[in-house]
Amino acid sequence: MKRLASVIALGVLVTGVVPAAAQETESQPGTTPAFSPVTWERLLNAKDEPHNWLMYSGTLDSQHYSGLDQVHNRNVGDLELKWAYQIPQLDRAETVPVVVDGVMFITEAPSNVVAVDAATGRQYWRYNHSLPDDLRICCGRNNRGVAILGETLYMSTLDAHLVAIDARTGNLVWDKAVADYRAGYSKTEAPLIVKDEVVTGMAGGEYGVRGFIDSYNAKSGELEWRAETIPGPDHPDNQTWAGDSWRTGGAATWITGAYDPDLDLVYWGTGNPGPDWNGDVRLGDNLYSDSAMALKHETGALEWYFQFTPHDVHDWDAIQVPILADLEMDGEMRKVMMWANRNAFFYTIDRVTGKFLVGKPFAKQTWAEGLDANGRPIRIPGTSPTAEGVTVSPPIGGGTNWFSPSYSPRTELFYVQAYDGEDIFYKRDEDYVEGDQFTGGGGRRPLPVENYKSAIRAIDPKTANLRWEYEIQPRSTAGIMATAGDLVFSGSVDGYFFALDAVSGEELWHMNVGRMVHSAPMSYAVDGKQYITIAAGNVVYSFGLRD
Amino acid sequence: MSMRSLWSAVTLILVAVLSLTAAPPDVSAQAREEPPADNVFTGELDVQMGQRVFQQQCGRCHGEDGTGGEGGPDLTNGFRSASTDEGLFKIVREGIPNTQMVGISRRSTDQSAWMVVAYLNSLNDTNDVDLPGNAANGQQLYAGKGNCSGCHMVNGEGGRLGPDLSQVGNRRDPAELVSDLRTPDQDVAPRWWTLRVTRADGTVVQGLRMDEDTFSMRLMDDDEDLWSFSKRDVRSYDRIKTSTMPSVNATLTDAEVDDLVAYLFSLRREEI
Repeated sequence: MKRLASVIALGVLVTGVVPAAAQETESQPGTTPAFSPVTWERLLNAKDEPHNWLMYSGTLDSQHYSGLDQVHNRNVGDLELKWAYQIPQLDRAETVPVVVDGVMFITEAPSNVVAVDAATGRQYWRYNHSLPDDLRICCGRNNRGVAILGETLYMSTLDAHLVAIDARTGNLVWDKAVADYRAGYSKTEAPLIVKDEVVTGMAGGEYGVRGFIDSYNAKSGELEWRAETIPGPDHPDNQTWAGDSWRTGGAATWITGAYDPDLDLVYWGTGNPGPDWNGDVRLGDNLYSDSAMALKHETGALEWYFQFTPHDVHDWDAIQVPILADLEMDGEMRKVMMWANRNAFFYTIDRVTGKFLVGKPFAKQTWAEGLDANGRPIRIPGTSPTAEGVTVSPPIGGGTNWFSPSYSPRTELFYVQAYDGEDIFYKRDEDYVEGDQFTGGGGRRPLPVENYKSAIRAIDPKTANLRWEYEIQPRSTAGIMATAGDLVFSGSVDGYFFALDAVSGEELWHMNVGRMVHSAPMSYAVDGKQYITIAAGNVVYSFGLRD
Repeated sequence: MSMRSLWSAVTLILVAVLSLTAAPPDVSAQAREEPPADNVFTGELDVQMGQRVFQQQCGRCHGEDGTGGEGGPDLTNGFRSASTDEGLFKIVREGIPNTQMVGISRRSTDQSAWMVVAYLNSLNDTNDVDLPGNAANGQQLYAGKGNCSGCHMVNGEGGRLGPDLSQVGNRRDPAELVSDLRTPDQDVAPRWWTLRVTRADGTVVQGLRMDEDTFSMRLMDDDEDLWSFSKRDVRSYDRIKTSTMPSVNATLTDAEVDDLVAYLFSLRREEI
């Protein structure tokens, strides 16, 4: 029936005629037939088509780096706003759009997605997900993006579903309940495509859930495997949880992982153990909370894990995007994973074995004397929460958090949003009730935020040493994108969007876009023009060079 | 008169009386402290009263008949943000945070809110009705002789050149479905108009109108490709407001149309 539209009777009722001047135009700008199916091969080689941004972190190694260099450190001052897309919800956007051949897919609160023309920001279609009225969500109606395979988008929803949506129309293809939202499960992260499967996590670490990472058949929506982030009683690591505490131990998986096709390993971070601030009821290391997990893609079997914060009592989720790169270290090429953790330490890890290579604090911390030879923290006594309160750095929000860091293969620097804050941490007794929050305490900031330093820090991943920092006032909770134009883009809570020189950290351009920047920038090109895009407040802005 | 009808009649009178007197601000607040778990205002008169409140307070955004407007979504095809009567009541009463949806007047009683819930449910009534056709036969016609799946999707299968029919039974009643099939040009939604764009070089791109604004337009062509045009860059464009769907009058018998309608009406969302 694809011929149908061409054989219809032309019952013309309204005609638009454009001015004569426009008719004289020889070229035909603004016309974009889009788009080609996104095969697994395209995703594998996403670096080869930098005009597209094919997944949450840009490429499977999650470097959150754009290979485009039309905008560079000598002309970035000529950036101007090209278009803005207003999300029809007031919630703060955390989305990173995906762009395929001139079409941009933007997720919105609470669990919606819209397709727009990437050159104008104007809409093709939208999908609104129906939600129940008794959701359990701790921290806002967030959604961070879609994955795409073929002509189908995959999106998490707040009622803990994974939905498949036709990328050309917004029609629902399938809708899979991943977990029971009534028990505190939800989903906010952008899924990750690996081959013909959709790998995806879950949220709910403040509700006494038991975390997992799932892989679904992209075509049928059937579950291929589930990797529990808290092993059951038949596994020896279950002994790292006192009694039955593993059943409600959290370790949620609410940010997108990475994939190494040569090793066939999926890398994914896990969240805090629960209850967050009262560890008395879950004595032990609480594996695999606050860890990086490396899973065999074929089966979901655990290849190795690296736990950043054993027996965490400060809510320092290892919910950061794992960044993969091959680095020459001590004369040897190493396949590494770089990780700036919420616990304020930066780590470079061998991603083949999980072996710790190097690590140092990248933000103020007062809870550990340092890391031992295996990367395990040497905890300072008296830093756990109490009923009266204990002041510790980093704060609950961490030395950094979920917002994407970036790595530039040109500068070989790792860029992270760092915060030298502190909180007073409290502990209280709390019983688990299914569907209710199960946190066992909390915290508060003792001084106004202006007392603490917030900065973008560039770290040499071979040594974990600081190369430069750019201070931000009052602070930032935004992601970062480095580009082949030797630029680093990021934003701040007071609405600034700015560009730094990737080599020196010098500020080169800034603009205030009005509201908090909380997501990460991304870049793409249409008709040979590079765009830099950021979601701020509830608006998505695209910038390009002045024509 | 049943007890429920009697109660409805009494409440109707009560509401009428209350509406004539300015309720003190704290009346509704007091009533809201312990909202009943279930809606007891579900009688015919309750629905009528709910419709009246809806038209007064909700219709401006959601349309007089609840089918949606510029400010609010269609409420006749399920609810995006509520899955229970209690949830609907809460939204009617308090609105949805961070959206343009505000609750009904604080001066309105909880009873009025429950009546609005009853009215909204009546707009989404999916009770089975006796239809002359056979849905199983209709499903075969849909994929075969009717050639519907070439342009329409059901649960992710089918074409993209017509509306998704996965839940068409929720939004169209049998009489409307008959009309859709027999006289498709009668009521064509703007999304399914055709845009015929003549480009600067005289070539033509034509397809279904996905979106249009003052300066630009987007369409899907016969090959299901997406196009975006700046109006200043094209020579001309036409909006064709007829349907691209042919009438079934020439291809299906009356009995086959009944069967097809029975199948289409059976396509509804799963009730929670």
